[in-house]
Amino acid sequence: GGAMSFLKRFSPPAEGVRHQQPDTEAVLAGRTLGAGTLYIAESRLSWLENSGVGFSLDYPTISLHAVSRDLSAYPWEHLYVMVNAKFEEEETKEAPMAEGEEEEDSDDDAEPIAEFRFVPSDKSALEAMFSAMCECQALHPDPDDDDSDNDYEGEEYDVEARELEQGDIPSFYTYEEGLSHLTAEGQATLERLEGMLAQSVSAQYNMAGVRTEDSIREFEDGMEVDIAPVVAGQFEDAEVDH
Amino acid sequence: MEVSHSVKERTIAENSLVILLQGLCGHVTTVDLRDESTATGRVTNVDAFMNVRLAEVAFTDRQGTVSHLDELFVTGRNVRYVHIPDEVDIRATIERQLQAIHRVRYFGGRDKGRKEFPRAKNK
Repeated sequence: GGAMSFLKRFSPPAEGVRHQQPDTEAVLAGRTLGAGTLYIAESRLSWLENSGVGFSLDYPTISLHAVSRDLSAYPWEHLYVMVNAKFEEEETKEAPMAEGEEEEDSDDDAEPIAEFRFVPSDKSALEAMFSAMCECQALHPDPDDDDSDNDYEGEEYDVEARELEQGDIPSFYTYEEGLSHLTAEGQATLERLEGMLAQSVSAQYNMAGVRTEDSIREFEDGMEVDIAPVVAGQFEDAEVDH
Repeated sequence: MEVSHSVKERTIAENSLVILLQGLCGHVTTVDLRDESTATGRVTNVDAFMNVRLAEVAFTDRQGTVSHLDELFVTGRNVRYVHIPDEVDIRATIERQLQAIHRVRYFGGRDKGRKEFPRAKNK
């Protein structure tokens, strides 16, 4: 067979590689491209044959991906990737027949499809490969999505603030998203609290997270949070009814 | 009830019907794709961009060939239609999802400040 002309020589991605799977065969439309390493990176999906040539796929062009363990459909367990693009290849039986086949979608011309299969020698890696691709795919939402008023850049936090009535009440953030929204003061407060928690093993405190007089003063500025100084036995008659 | 950890995604979901699809997690349903193939499986995740993740999938391609996939991820762009199973109460599902979002959002308490004691409840 002829060489696949879309194969190029390039270096493997250095950044944002969520998963790397060596000893993985790449197959395009039923024809093998050889054995190499699959790189599932945040910027793109790349496969490099052991000789150093390979190809990359951009996530916006990937329609779907899947784990296939159905050996009656394909004899090896693999990661299936459907791409909305044409790759130069020799004509195969699977090529869409445009002439005389009126039943076929005429949008075959408008909708090029290429089917890749990545067959790792280590089948147990398929879950991790699949998940890594899901994560990376989610980083590339469709820019052409004219269906949505999803223009929440910059507005989004105001939406939540409005919903929280006064907007003075601290929002509940999780993960890194929250960290990036701390002001310098907030950052300092966080560090202080984390330091305090680290020290608060001693019986000096009745429960974790108790604030000292110092930190109450700090809170008077930006946050409106009621903090009652703890008195021994204060909670004994509390109705804890979650 | 899992809700996205992203403020942005919660906001998007709250303001679109994708919130209904997110409530389908655990249900078996059929997703029609843009290229007229279909995928029937159990919904494991739908994000704010309508990317759909299914498990135990029967996938029917454009030619009608059926194959089985352990897991499938379809990008939102390629979803044409998501069938809502008959057993799903659409309104209740949307309300439940909204409540889940609000539980996360109002974690700090609705009123100003944060109470050390829980509100008095009927015994």
